[in-house]
Amino acid sequence: MTLSRRNLLKSALLSAPLLGSAGLRRLAFAADGVDRGLLVIVHLRGGCDGLNLISPATDPTFIEARASDLRVQAEGPDAGHQLARGPDPKIDFRLHASATGLAELYNSGRLAFVHAVGLTDETRSHFVAIDMMEHGVAGQAALAHSGSGWLARYLQAIDATAPASGIAASGGITSEFLGGAGGLAIPDLGGGFGAPGGPQVGAVLAKLYGGAPGPIGAAGRTTLQAMAAIDGRIPRDAQNKPVAYTPENGAVYEPGGDLGRALRTVAQLAKMQIGLQVATADIGGWDTHENQPGRFRNCVERLSAGISAFYADMARFHDRLILVTVSEFGRRLRSNRSNGTDHGRAGVMMVLGGGVQGGRFYGKWPGLATDKLDEGVDLSVATDYRQVLSEVLAAHSGRGASLASAFPDYAAPRPLGIFATAAAVARPG
Amino acid sequence: MPETRPMVPLAPDAVISALGRAGYGARPEEIAPVARGFPSWVEEQLAPREDQDQAVRERLARLTLRVRYPVNPKWPAVDELRPLAYLDKPIEAAWPLIEKRQEMDGAERRRPREEVMAATILRAVHSRWQLREVLVSFWHDHFNVDAWGSEEVSVALPTYDRDVIRKHCLGNFRQFLEAVATSTAMLYYLSNRTSRAGAANENYGRELFELHTLGRGAYLNDRYDRWADVPGANKRAPVGYIDEDVYESARAFTGWTVEDGTNIDGKRKLPLTGRFAYVESWHDGYQKRVLAHEFKEFGAAMSDGRTVLDLVARHPATARFMVTKLCRRFLGENPPESVVAPAVDVWTKSARAPDQIAQVVRVILLSPEFAAARGAKVRRPLALAAAFARATGIDLTPTEGLWNELANGGQRLFGWPPPTGLPDENAYFLGANSMRHRWALVLGIAENWWGTGTFPVMANGMATARSMAARFLAGFEGSVQPATVEALLEGLGWPPDQALEPGNPEFGKRLARTAAVAAMSPGFQTV
Repeated sequence: MTLSRRNLLKSALLSAPLLGSAGLRRLAFAADGVDRGLLVIVHLRGGCDGLNLISPATDPTFIEARASDLRVQAEGPDAGHQLARGPDPKIDFRLHASATGLAELYNSGRLAFVHAVGLTDETRSHFVAIDMMEHGVAGQAALAHSGSGWLARYLQAIDATAPASGIAASGGITSEFLGGAGGLAIPDLGGGFGAPGGPQVGAVLAKLYGGAPGPIGAAGRTTLQAMAAIDGRIPRDAQNKPVAYTPENGAVYEPGGDLGRALRTVAQLAKMQIGLQVATADIGGWDTHENQPGRFRNCVERLSAGISAFYADMARFHDRLILVTVSEFGRRLRSNRSNGTDHGRAGVMMVLGGGVQGGRFYGKWPGLATDKLDEGVDLSVATDYRQVLSEVLAAHSGRGASLASAFPDYAAPRPLGIFATAAAVARPG
Repeated sequence: MPETRPMVPLAPDAVISALGRAGYGARPEEIAPVARGFPSWVEEQLAPREDQDQAVRERLARLTLRVRYPVNPKWPAVDELRPLAYLDKPIEAAWPLIEKRQEMDGAERRRPREEVMAATILRAVHSRWQLREVLVSFWHDHFNVDAWGSEEVSVALPTYDRDVIRKHCLGNFRQFLEAVATSTAMLYYLSNRTSRAGAANENYGRELFELHTLGRGAYLNDRYDRWADVPGANKRAPVGYIDEDVYESARAFTGWTVEDGTNIDGKRKLPLTGRFAYVESWHDGYQKRVLAHEFKEFGAAMSDGRTVLDLVARHPATARFMVTKLCRRFLGENPPESVVAPAVDVWTKSARAPDQIAQVVRVILLSPEFAAARGAKVRRPLALAAAFARATGIDLTPTEGLWNELANGGQRLFGWPPPTGLPDENAYFLGANSMRHRWALVLGIAENWWGTGTFPVMANGMATARSMAARFLAGFEGSVQPATVEALLEGLGWPPDQALEPGNPEFGKRLARTAAVAAMSPGFQTV
């Protein structure tokens, strides 16, 4: 990677209004002329039951539709966390009792919820819904014509084309990065990230892949570049063994399970200053067709613990950090007889960060009356997922209209206002 | 007789590619005979006989896998090498692992899965029936279950692998579907086991349509319940399916469950065997409509579910979806219509044949498009490991260290959580992580990092770094590119023409490392 003076200047100019003078000391992610903050997308894979994560706990329709252990309770020993400023003042919205960390972030004003949000296309298929969301579209025709992921287009739009500008921290590369120059899959740095077998093998690989044609050649070169950028920044002990990463502020990632591991890798990479701008991380297990209460609790515990640990570890960078959660759909209002829920429509998104005007909900609550439900069975989509993501990208990039390429056939209505204005962000402290 | 088109005799690099896509890689001694008669190789492979796979039988009989867990108030500590116990046993022989789960360490419940993982690796390397192993892997991906996410699926995996996947991998698709639908592994994995009349569980029904048969391209999600609006519905031949078809199918499969000890009505209880069961009183017997076909109320036992399987198995969208997917496995992404169309035709015409799948695979493998698709596939980790062992003659033994590295490279055997199965797309294996771990994989096997076996040192005279590099590249890629030899020599940095004797300890080290770096080249990573 080369340091481009032009890019350095351009980035500095673009981010100046966002940063203000106080921000200049905090170029935490600065590398190779890039000084934006870090955007993290957390995928809740399998379709998170938004109605069980944040329940309209006192809505009689809801109480009728579901067994009590598939609802968050408003009172009693299992009562969920009370949420001030819910989307409908007549209903007591409660956050799942196991989401203690998320409740604290909400109450601290840094976490916002969007309920009844999702894909406007009517698909109830995991894989169609995921594909549409990762391509940033909402329809079969648009999906068929979309050759790239929305993060790939976004990184292109902000000139972040170094491979290490985007990281998928959960196994394989996600299709949000499809068709772009940036985007590496790096789930774990525990064994370092050098050439297997040491520099001798690295030298052979450089020769073998230097001019190799086709996708395999390109993949080899990208991998070698990433290894060069990352491995040298992993601290090593006297025996040249990689030193385990120590999170800051006593953050403990282990209770976050799969998500905790991925977010820990994201934090580690972010602090290496390799130009990381966007990362994705997955948390699985949300496809709760049966035995939902225990499985869902387990998912919520990992979600809450993983995000809390990450936010604590990244405390130095809060003013430059945005984390947003997405899930392909919510689940059916009525439960099935396996004590689970089947595929539905709208769900919940969360937005976390120093610039987020949190502690409140965004978007309309459509209600659960039969005529308000999608096809009479599922929570309707009142807010397009792209509206939330558009505001996230505007805040991350410090730009607005020029990012239309991320969501090409979508014109965002008036902003929900999830983020403070640039001037407000620039105020130190 | 099937239609076969004239074939040009194959060059060594073409044979290596063909055996790398229709099998787990070429052994040096196979190249000449297969070059002379690839069609007869295909014919032989399409009719595998268990009694002719001595290499696998012997190795399975003597294979041991380590089991280790600490002491507990209820059981002693265990650390031993134990032979395989579940691979050829019926489900009820393994089910005590579930039934008596309080009385043993969880490592015992992982054993059935570990045995199938080990056997899968061992067969990929050593089986004479290479094409069958590729199809077994294809169908495990297609009818995916996650044996890492559920102890019941782990315990049911030997039966699933043997009596469902292996039994039907070259057989009839409709029969295959019913074997899957009644399998313990799938009934747990897609939760049909607990689906009951009243509010059926739609998990299996949805994936049956979307992933197992018609495919997501046939999902008309904008019609939801407006079945009469689906083109063709008035002739009872709808072009695709809608959400209502999924809901109705879910009702059709209510009562298809597992003998898991559940109470039926207070007086009757299911036995605890892990076998399939049909419970009439859990079945939703009322009328249904699936794919524009009306089902009469209260049909015979299991007839609703079987009719759904008939409808989806014979749907034209299924033929196209399945054939395209098979072509992708053998030819790479975007297979040309010139091979898909004739194979769809064979799929449809042989719908009732006991060897329907074998007939389709024959058409695909004997097509000129198959021969032309050289280099189209990135080798997945297991395919890379097996091909490396086969090409170098390493007598590879599966170990936990090896399957962990396969997982690091993106292929956790029998452990893909969502029902899509491991992606069959190059892009998934071209990410930085998978690339780096596949480089490590061949090096680790060559240098025996995981106890999988030593690298064979042929004692046939002196060798130089140059002759070693040329020998391995020729074996791996079929022809030697001088530039690739130079790349290896320059990178390795050894004096290229210094002769070493086989007795020199440096000889074996250099041989193994040279083989590994030759296998890291783009020409061996793709096939």
